[in-house]
Amino acid sequence: MSAGRPARWTRNQKLAAGAVALGLGALLIGDPGDGGRVTLDARELAALVEGEVDHVTPDELADWIVAGRQDFRLVDLRAEADYAAYHVPGAERIPITGLEDAELARNEKIVLYSQEGIHSAQAWFLLKARRYPAVYILLGGLAQWQEQVLYPVRPEAGAGAEERAAFERAAARAASFGGAARAAAAGLAPAVPALVPPPITAPGVAPTAPPPAGSPVKKKKKEGC
Amino acid sequence: MNAPLFKFGLFGDEFSLVVAFLIGIGFGFFLERAGFGSARKLTDQFYLKDMAVFRVMFTAIVTAMLGLFYLGWLGWVDLSLVYVSPTFLWPQVAGGLLLGVGFVVGGYCPGTSLVALATGKLDALAFVAGIFAGIFAIGEAWPAISGFAESSALGRLTLPEVLHLPAGLVVLLVVLMAVGGFWGAAALERRFAGRGAGEGS
Repeated sequence: MSAGRPARWTRNQKLAAGAVALGLGALLIGDPGDGGRVTLDARELAALVEGEVDHVTPDELADWIVAGRQDFRLVDLRAEADYAAYHVPGAERIPITGLEDAELARNEKIVLYSQEGIHSAQAWFLLKARRYPAVYILLGGLAQWQEQVLYPVRPEAGAGAEERAAFERAAARAASFGGAARAAAAGLAPAVPALVPPPITAPGVAPTAPPPAGSPVKKKKKEGC
Repeated sequence: MNAPLFKFGLFGDEFSLVVAFLIGIGFGFFLERAGFGSARKLTDQFYLKDMAVFRVMFTAIVTAMLGLFYLGWLGWVDLSLVYVSPTFLWPQVAGGLLLGVGFVVGGYCPGTSLVALATGKLDALAFVAGIFAGIFAIGEAWPAISGFAESSALGRLTLPEVLHLPAGLVVLLVVLMAVGGFWGAAALERRFAGRGAGEGS
Protein backbone atom coordinates (compact mmCIF):
# COMPACT_ATOMS: atom_id res chain seq x y z
CA MET A 1 0.00 0.00 0.00
CA SER A 2 1.34 3.39 -0.80
CA ALA A 3 0.51 6.18 1.55
CA GLY A 4 -1.99 8.75 0.47
CA ARG A 5 -3.90 6.44 -1.81
CA PRO A 6 -6.96 4.44 -0.80
CA ALA A 7 -5.95 1.11 0.72
CA ARG A 8 -6.22 -1.83 -1.69
CA TRP A 9 -8.48 -4.64 -0.74
CA THR A 10 -7.02 -7.56 1.12
CA ARG A 11 -7.62 -11.04 -0.18
CA ASN A 12 -10.21 -11.70 2.52
CA GLN A 13 -12.07 -8.56 1.61
CA LYS A 14 -12.09 -9.60 -2.03
CA LEU A 15 -13.44 -13.02 -1.11
CA ALA A 16 -16.14 -11.42 1.04
CA ALA A 17 -17.07 -9.10 -1.81
CA GLY A 18 -17.26 -12.07 -4.15
CA ALA A 19 -19.54 -13.90 -1.74
CA VAL A 20 -21.78 -10.86 -1.42
CA ALA A 21 -21.91 -10.57 -5.22
CA LEU A 22 -22.92 -14.21 -5.49
CA GLY A 23 -25.51 -13.63 -2.77
CA LEU A 24 -26.98 -10.72 -4.73
CA GLY A 25 -27.08 -12.96 -7.79
CA ALA A 26 -28.95 -15.54 -5.72
CA LEU A 27 -31.44 -12.86 -4.71
CA LEU A 28 -32.13 -12.17 -8.40
CA ILE A 29 -32.48 -15.85 -9.20
CA GLY A 30 -34.86 -16.32 -6.30
CA ASP A 31 -35.44 -20.04 -6.26
CA PRO A 32 -32.83 -22.48 -7.54
CA GLY A 33 -35.74 -24.88 -7.79
CA ASP A 34 -35.71 -28.35 -9.06
CA GLY A 35 -36.88 -26.63 -12.21
CA GLY A 36 -40.30 -28.23 -11.95
CA ARG A 37 -39.29 -30.11 -15.07
CA VAL A 38 -40.80 -33.46 -15.76
CA THR A 39 -38.25 -35.21 -17.84
CA LEU A 40 -39.22 -38.55 -19.21
CA ASP A 41 -36.53 -40.32 -21.11
CA ALA A 42 -38.52 -43.13 -22.68
CA ARG A 43 -35.42 -44.96 -23.85
CA GLU A 44 -33.85 -44.83 -20.41
CA LEU A 45 -37.03 -46.10 -18.76
CA ALA A 46 -37.30 -48.90 -21.28
CA ALA A 47 -33.69 -49.87 -20.60
CA LEU A 48 -34.44 -49.97 -16.86
CA VAL A 49 -37.41 -52.24 -17.45
CA GLU A 50 -35.52 -54.54 -19.76
CA GLY A 51 -32.51 -54.72 -17.48
CA GLU A 52 -34.83 -55.61 -14.59
CA VAL A 53 -32.79 -53.34 -12.35
CA ASP A 54 -36.04 -51.88 -11.04
CA HIS A 55 -36.91 -55.14 -9.27
CA VAL A 56 -36.40 -56.34 -5.76
CA THR A 57 -37.09 -60.03 -5.35
CA PRO A 58 -39.02 -61.27 -2.30
CA ASP A 59 -35.85 -63.06 -1.20
CA GLU A 60 -33.84 -59.85 -1.28
CA LEU A 61 -36.53 -57.91 0.58
CA ALA A 62 -36.80 -60.60 3.24
CA ASP A 63 -33.04 -60.51 3.74
CA TRP A 64 -33.11 -56.72 4.06
CA ILE A 65 -35.80 -56.92 6.73
CA VAL A 66 -33.95 -59.68 8.58
CA ALA A 67 -30.76 -57.61 8.46
CA GLY A 68 -32.69 -54.72 9.98
CA ARG A 69 -31.95 -52.40 7.09
CA GLN A 70 -33.64 -49.03 7.51
CA ASP A 71 -32.47 -47.37 4.32
CA PHE A 72 -35.60 -47.97 2.28
CA ARG A 73 -39.32 -47.33 2.49
CA LEU A 74 -41.71 -50.12 1.80
CA VAL A 75 -45.02 -48.99 0.31
CA ASP A 76 -48.15 -51.12 0.23
CA LEU A 77 -50.45 -49.92 -2.56
CA ARG A 78 -53.40 -52.20 -1.78
CA ALA A 79 -56.74 -51.34 -0.19
CA GLU A 80 -57.06 -50.53 3.49
CA ALA A 81 -58.79 -53.83 4.31
CA ASP A 82 -56.13 -55.90 2.56
CA TYR A 83 -53.44 -53.98 4.36
CA ALA A 84 -55.15 -54.53 7.69
CA ALA A 85 -55.43 -58.27 6.98
CA TYR A 86 -51.76 -58.68 6.17
CA HIS A 87 -48.82 -56.62 5.04
CA VAL A 88 -45.11 -57.14 4.86
CA PRO A 89 -43.57 -56.06 8.19
CA GLY A 90 -42.53 -52.43 8.06
CA ALA A 91 -44.75 -51.55 5.10
CA GLU A 92 -46.79 -48.36 5.11
CA ARG A 93 -49.98 -48.08 3.10
CA ILE A 94 -50.13 -45.40 0.46
CA PRO A 95 -52.93 -45.74 -2.10
CA ILE A 96 -51.89 -45.09 -5.67
CA THR A 97 -54.04 -41.97 -5.75
CA GLY A 98 -52.27 -40.72 -2.66
CA LEU A 99 -48.76 -40.95 -4.07
CA GLU A 100 -48.93 -37.31 -5.13
CA ASP A 101 -49.46 -36.11 -1.55
CA ALA A 102 -47.45 -38.79 0.23
CA GLU A 103 -44.35 -37.56 1.94
CA LEU A 104 -41.93 -39.49 -0.19
CA ALA A 105 -38.60 -37.75 -0.53
CA ARG A 106 -36.71 -38.09 -3.76
CA ASN A 107 -33.58 -39.12 -1.92
CA GLU A 108 -35.24 -42.19 -0.49
CA LYS A 109 -35.14 -45.69 -1.80
CA ILE A 110 -38.73 -46.74 -2.30
CA VAL A 111 -39.94 -50.31 -2.72
CA LEU A 112 -43.49 -50.67 -4.01
CA TYR A 113 -45.71 -53.70 -3.86
CA SER A 114 -49.29 -54.61 -4.68
CA GLN A 115 -51.09 -57.95 -4.81
CA GLU A 116 -49.66 -59.13 -8.12
CA GLY A 117 -47.49 -56.33 -9.39
CA ILE A 118 -49.61 -54.42 -11.87
CA HIS A 119 -50.43 -51.56 -9.56
CA SER A 120 -46.87 -51.34 -8.38
CA ALA A 121 -45.66 -51.17 -11.97
CA GLN A 122 -48.06 -48.32 -12.64
CA ALA A 123 -47.03 -46.52 -9.46
CA TRP A 124 -43.39 -47.07 -10.44
CA PHE A 125 -44.03 -45.23 -13.69
CA LEU A 126 -45.83 -42.37 -11.93
CA LEU A 127 -42.94 -41.87 -9.54
CA LYS A 128 -40.29 -42.25 -12.22
CA ALA A 129 -42.03 -39.57 -14.30
CA ARG A 130 -41.78 -37.30 -11.28
CA ARG A 131 -38.02 -37.89 -11.15
CA TYR A 132 -37.83 -40.25 -8.24
CA PRO A 133 -34.55 -41.96 -9.02
CA ALA A 134 -34.70 -44.97 -6.69
CA VAL A 135 -38.06 -46.68 -7.04
CA TYR A 136 -38.24 -50.46 -7.04
CA ILE A 137 -40.98 -53.02 -7.49
CA LEU A 138 -41.32 -56.11 -5.34
CA LEU A 139 -41.20 -58.79 -8.02
CA GLY A 140 -44.44 -60.74 -8.19
CA GLY A 141 -46.03 -58.62 -5.48
CA LEU A 142 -47.45 -59.94 -2.26
CA ALA A 143 -48.49 -63.18 -3.97
CA GLN A 144 -44.90 -64.11 -4.66
CA TRP A 145 -43.84 -62.91 -1.21
CA GLN A 146 -46.24 -65.45 0.29
CA GLU A 147 -45.13 -68.24 -2.05
CA GLN A 148 -41.43 -67.65 -1.71
CA VAL A 149 -40.83 -66.19 1.71
CA LEU A 150 -43.75 -67.13 3.93
CA TYR A 151 -44.47 -70.62 2.64
CA PRO A 152 -41.38 -72.04 0.94
CA VAL A 153 -41.93 -75.38 -0.76
CA ARG A 154 -40.22 -78.43 0.72
CA PRO A 155 -37.99 -80.02 -1.92
CA GLU A 156 -38.65 -83.52 -3.27
CA ALA A 157 -37.20 -86.46 -1.38
CA GLY A 158 -34.42 -86.94 -3.91
CA ALA A 159 -33.24 -83.34 -3.79
CA GLY A 160 -29.53 -82.56 -3.56
CA ALA A 161 -27.81 -81.41 -0.39
CA GLU A 162 -27.45 -77.86 -1.67
CA GLU A 163 -31.16 -77.56 -2.37
CA ARG A 164 -31.93 -78.95 1.06
CA ALA A 165 -29.63 -76.47 2.77
CA ALA A 166 -31.24 -73.61 0.84
CA PHE A 167 -34.64 -74.87 1.93
CA GLU A 168 -33.59 -75.09 5.57
CA ARG A 169 -32.53 -71.46 5.45
CA ALA A 170 -35.77 -70.45 3.74
CA ALA A 171 -37.84 -72.40 6.27
CA ALA A 172 -36.09 -70.75 9.21
CA ARG A 173 -36.66 -67.35 7.65
CA ALA A 174 -40.32 -68.19 6.96
CA ALA A 175 -40.79 -69.06 10.61
CA SER A 176 -39.34 -65.73 11.67
CA PHE A 177 -41.90 -63.99 9.45
CA GLY A 178 -44.72 -66.06 10.90
CA GLY A 179 -45.01 -68.44 7.94
CA ALA A 180 -44.16 -72.12 7.58
CA ALA A 181 -42.78 -74.55 5.05
CA ARG A 182 -45.22 -76.54 2.96
CA ALA A 183 -45.03 -79.74 0.98
CA ALA A 184 -44.68 -79.48 -2.77
CA ALA A 185 -48.09 -81.03 -3.35
CA ALA A 186 -49.77 -78.53 -1.06
CA GLY A 187 -49.48 -75.84 -3.66
CA LEU A 188 -51.74 -77.73 -6.07
CA ALA A 189 -53.98 -79.63 -3.69
CA PRO A 190 -57.12 -78.03 -2.25
CA ALA A 191 -54.90 -77.25 0.69
CA VAL A 192 -54.32 -73.88 -0.90
CA PRO A 193 -56.07 -72.19 2.02
CA ALA A 194 -52.77 -72.91 3.73
CA LEU A 195 -51.84 -69.56 2.23
CA VAL A 196 -53.75 -67.70 4.90
CA PRO A 197 -52.20 -64.53 6.11
CA PRO A 198 -49.91 -65.19 9.03
CA PRO A 199 -49.58 -62.72 11.88
CA ILE A 200 -47.45 -59.78 10.83
CA THR A 201 -44.23 -60.52 12.59
CA ALA A 202 -40.88 -59.11 11.81
CA PRO A 203 -37.73 -60.96 12.78
CA GLY A 204 -36.45 -59.69 16.07
CA VAL A 205 -39.95 -59.02 17.33
CA ALA A 206 -40.92 -61.57 19.92
CA PRO A 207 -43.51 -63.85 18.33
CA THR A 208 -45.62 -63.68 21.46
CA ALA A 209 -46.03 -59.92 21.08
CA PRO A 210 -46.71 -59.14 17.46
CA PRO A 211 -47.24 -55.47 16.65
CA PRO A 212 -50.92 -54.60 16.42
CA ALA A 213 -52.07 -55.37 12.90
CA GLY A 214 -52.81 -52.38 10.80
CA SER A 215 -50.56 -50.01 12.64
CA PRO A 216 -47.74 -48.73 10.51
CA VAL A 217 -44.78 -50.10 12.36
CA LYS A 218 -42.19 -48.25 10.32
CA LYS A 219 -40.01 -46.18 12.56
CA LYS A 220 -38.38 -42.95 11.61
CA LYS A 221 -35.18 -43.67 9.82
CA LYS A 222 -32.01 -42.52 11.41
CA GLU A 223 -29.11 -41.96 9.14
CA GLY A 224 -26.03 -39.86 9.04
CA CYS A 225 -25.15 -37.64 6.18
CA MET B 1 -22.09 -37.91 2.82
CA ASN B 2 -21.87 -40.63 0.26
CA ALA B 3 -25.62 -40.56 -0.08
CA PRO B 4 -27.45 -40.76 -2.39
CA LEU B 5 -25.01 -42.78 -4.46
CA PHE B 6 -24.74 -45.49 -1.82
CA LYS B 7 -28.44 -45.73 -1.11
CA PHE B 8 -29.31 -45.98 -4.77
CA GLY B 9 -27.02 -48.96 -5.09
CA LEU B 10 -24.44 -47.31 -7.34
CA PHE B 11 -21.83 -48.83 -5.09
CA GLY B 12 -21.95 -51.37 -2.31
CA ASP B 13 -21.14 -51.52 1.39
CA GLU B 14 -17.41 -52.09 0.98
CA PHE B 15 -16.87 -49.31 -1.52
CA SER B 16 -18.95 -46.90 0.54
CA LEU B 17 -16.48 -47.46 3.39
CA VAL B 18 -13.65 -46.52 1.04
CA VAL B 19 -15.51 -43.35 0.06
CA ALA B 20 -16.22 -42.55 3.71
CA PHE B 21 -12.53 -43.12 4.53
CA LEU B 22 -11.37 -40.76 1.78
CA ILE B 23 -13.86 -38.06 2.82
CA GLY B 24 -12.81 -38.52 6.45
CA ILE B 25 -9.13 -38.14 5.58
CA GLY B 26 -9.90 -34.97 3.63
CA PHE B 27 -12.00 -33.56 6.45
CA GLY B 28 -9.32 -34.31 9.02
CA PHE B 29 -6.60 -32.81 6.82
CA PHE B 30 -8.39 -29.49 6.54
CA LEU B 31 -9.22 -29.42 10.24
CA GLU B 32 -5.53 -29.90 11.02
CA ARG B 33 -4.52 -27.26 8.47
CA ALA B 34 -6.91 -24.82 10.13
CA GLY B 35 -5.11 -25.46 13.42
CA PHE B 36 -8.03 -27.35 14.96
CA GLY B 37 -5.85 -30.14 16.24
CA SER B 38 -4.95 -27.88 19.15
CA ALA B 39 -7.28 -27.65 22.14
CA ARG B 40 -5.77 -24.27 23.01
CA LYS B 41 -6.72 -22.79 19.66
CA LEU B 42 -10.18 -24.28 19.88
CA THR B 43 -10.90 -23.03 23.41
CA ASP B 44 -9.55 -19.57 22.54
CA GLN B 45 -12.75 -19.32 20.51
CA PHE B 46 -14.81 -19.34 23.69
CA TYR B 47 -12.66 -16.62 25.28
CA LEU B 48 -13.13 -14.57 22.06
CA LYS B 49 -9.35 -14.38 21.61
CA ASP B 50 -9.16 -16.33 18.38
CA MET B 51 -12.22 -16.58 16.17
CA ALA B 52 -10.72 -19.11 13.74
CA VAL B 53 -13.35 -21.75 14.54
CA PHE B 54 -16.13 -19.31 13.77
CA ARG B 55 -14.42 -18.18 10.57
CA VAL B 56 -13.65 -21.63 9.24
CA MET B 57 -17.09 -23.02 10.00
CA PHE B 58 -19.00 -20.04 8.64
CA THR B 59 -16.79 -19.96 5.53
CA ALA B 60 -17.55 -23.64 4.95
CA ILE B 61 -21.29 -22.98 5.36
CA VAL B 62 -21.25 -20.06 2.91
CA THR B 63 -19.13 -21.96 0.37
CA ALA B 64 -21.37 -25.03 0.48
CA MET B 65 -24.52 -22.92 0.38
CA LEU B 66 -23.43 -20.86 -2.63
CA GLY B 67 -22.12 -23.95 -4.38
CA LEU B 68 -25.34 -25.91 -3.93
CA PHE B 69 -27.51 -22.94 -4.84
CA TYR B 70 -25.73 -22.25 -8.11
CA LEU B 71 -25.21 -25.89 -9.05
CA GLY B 72 -28.93 -26.43 -8.43
CA TRP B 73 -29.75 -23.41 -10.55
CA LEU B 74 -27.55 -24.69 -13.36
CA GLY B 75 -29.31 -28.02 -13.11
CA TRP B 76 -26.14 -29.91 -12.20
CA VAL B 77 -27.34 -30.93 -8.74
CA ASP B 78 -30.88 -32.01 -8.01
CA LEU B 79 -31.46 -30.32 -4.65
CA SER B 80 -34.42 -32.55 -3.89
CA LEU B 81 -31.93 -35.42 -3.60
CA VAL B 82 -29.81 -33.76 -0.92
CA TYR B 83 -30.33 -35.30 2.48
CA VAL B 84 -31.82 -32.96 5.07
CA SER B 85 -31.64 -34.17 8.66
CA PRO B 86 -35.06 -34.25 10.28
CA THR B 87 -35.60 -31.71 13.05
CA PHE B 88 -36.34 -32.78 16.62
CA LEU B 89 -36.42 -29.32 18.15
CA TRP B 90 -35.96 -29.68 21.91
CA PRO B 91 -33.81 -32.81 21.86
CA GLN B 92 -31.50 -31.04 19.41
CA VAL B 93 -31.38 -27.89 21.56
CA ALA B 94 -30.46 -30.04 24.55
CA GLY B 95 -27.92 -32.01 22.53
CA GLY B 96 -26.36 -28.82 21.19
CA LEU B 97 -25.95 -27.40 24.68
CA LEU B 98 -24.45 -30.66 25.92
CA LEU B 99 -21.98 -30.73 23.04
CA GLY B 100 -21.10 -27.07 23.63
CA VAL B 101 -20.39 -27.62 27.32
CA GLY B 102 -18.28 -30.65 26.43
CA PHE B 103 -16.44 -28.56 23.84
CA VAL B 104 -15.52 -25.86 26.40
CA VAL B 105 -14.59 -28.31 29.14
CA GLY B 106 -12.77 -30.85 26.99
CA GLY B 107 -11.25 -28.50 24.45
CA TYR B 108 -12.37 -30.54 21.47
CA CYS B 109 -15.42 -31.50 19.49
CA PRO B 110 -15.67 -35.11 18.32
CA GLY B 111 -14.08 -34.49 14.90
CA THR B 112 -11.21 -32.37 16.14
CA SER B 113 -10.46 -34.81 18.97
CA LEU B 114 -9.75 -37.51 16.39
CA VAL B 115 -7.57 -35.10 14.43
CA ALA B 116 -5.62 -34.30 17.60
CA LEU B 117 -5.37 -37.99 18.44
CA ALA B 118 -3.89 -38.62 15.00
CA THR B 119 -1.11 -36.17 15.83
CA GLY B 120 -0.49 -37.93 19.13
CA LYS B 121 -2.01 -35.60 21.71
CA LEU B 122 -2.71 -37.31 25.02
CA ASP B 123 -5.57 -35.02 26.06
CA ALA B 124 -7.31 -36.05 22.83
CA LEU B 125 -6.88 -39.69 23.88
CA ALA B 126 -8.74 -38.95 27.11
CA PHE B 127 -11.40 -37.07 25.16
CA VAL B 128 -11.95 -39.94 22.70
CA ALA B 129 -12.21 -42.37 25.61
CA GLY B 130 -14.90 -40.05 26.96
CA ILE B 131 -16.74 -40.19 23.64
CA PHE B 132 -16.91 -43.96 23.76
CA ALA B 133 -17.99 -43.92 27.39
CA GLY B 134 -20.71 -41.44 26.46
CA ILE B 135 -21.90 -43.55 23.54
CA PHE B 136 -22.07 -46.56 25.84
CA ALA B 137 -23.97 -44.61 28.50
CA ILE B 138 -26.47 -43.28 25.95
CA GLY B 139 -27.00 -46.76 24.58
CA GLU B 140 -27.68 -48.16 28.03
CA ALA B 141 -29.95 -45.26 28.99
CA TRP B 142 -31.79 -45.24 25.65
CA PRO B 143 -35.06 -46.79 26.90
CA ALA B 144 -35.29 -44.03 29.49
CA ILE B 145 -34.56 -41.12 27.15
CA SER B 146 -35.93 -42.28 23.80
CA GLY B 147 -39.29 -40.66 24.53
CA PHE B 148 -37.61 -37.27 24.81
CA ALA B 149 -35.12 -37.91 22.01
CA GLU B 150 -37.93 -38.52 19.53
CA SER B 151 -40.20 -35.71 20.72
CA SER B 152 -41.01 -32.45 18.93
CA ALA B 153 -40.35 -34.00 15.55
CA LEU B 154 -40.83 -31.34 12.92
CA GLY B 155 -39.70 -33.31 9.89
CA ARG B 156 -37.31 -32.01 7.28
CA LEU B 157 -37.18 -28.25 7.49
CA THR B 158 -35.24 -25.71 5.48
CA LEU B 159 -34.94 -22.01 6.24
CA PRO B 160 -36.79 -20.82 3.11
CA GLU B 161 -39.73 -23.05 4.07
CA VAL B 162 -39.82 -21.93 7.68
CA LEU B 163 -39.38 -18.23 6.94
CA HIS B 164 -41.55 -18.25 3.79
CA LEU B 165 -38.81 -16.40 1.94
CA PRO B 166 -37.33 -17.08 -1.49
CA ALA B 167 -34.21 -19.24 -1.26
CA GLY B 168 -32.14 -16.55 -2.97
CA LEU B 169 -33.00 -13.99 -0.29
CA VAL B 170 -32.04 -16.44 2.45
CA VAL B 171 -28.73 -17.04 0.66
CA LEU B 172 -28.01 -13.31 0.54
CA LEU B 173 -28.97 -12.86 4.21
CA VAL B 174 -26.68 -15.68 5.30
CA VAL B 175 -23.80 -14.23 3.26
CA LEU B 176 -24.36 -10.80 4.83
CA MET B 177 -24.56 -12.43 8.26
CA ALA B 178 -21.21 -14.13 7.60
CA VAL B 179 -19.50 -10.97 6.35
CA GLY B 180 -20.87 -8.99 9.29
CA GLY B 181 -19.79 -11.80 11.62
CA PHE B 182 -16.24 -11.80 10.23
CA TRP B 183 -16.02 -8.05 10.70
CA GLY B 184 -17.32 -8.37 14.26
CA ALA B 185 -14.96 -11.26 14.93
CA ALA B 186 -11.96 -9.17 13.95
CA ALA B 187 -13.12 -6.41 16.32
CA LEU B 188 -13.56 -8.90 19.17
CA GLU B 189 -10.10 -10.36 18.57
CA ARG B 190 -8.49 -6.93 18.74
CA ARG B 191 -10.23 -6.36 22.03
CA PHE B 192 -9.55 -9.72 23.71
CA ALA B 193 -6.38 -10.93 22.00
CA GLY B 194 -3.97 -9.87 24.73
CA ARG B 195 -5.87 -11.45 27.58
CA GLY B 196 -5.12 -14.86 28.92
CA ALA B 197 -7.89 -16.96 30.34
CA GLY B 198 -8.80 -15.64 33.77
CA GLU B 199 -6.38 -12.70 33.83
CA GLY B 200 -7.30 -9.10 33.23
CA SER B 201 -5.31 -6.72 31.07
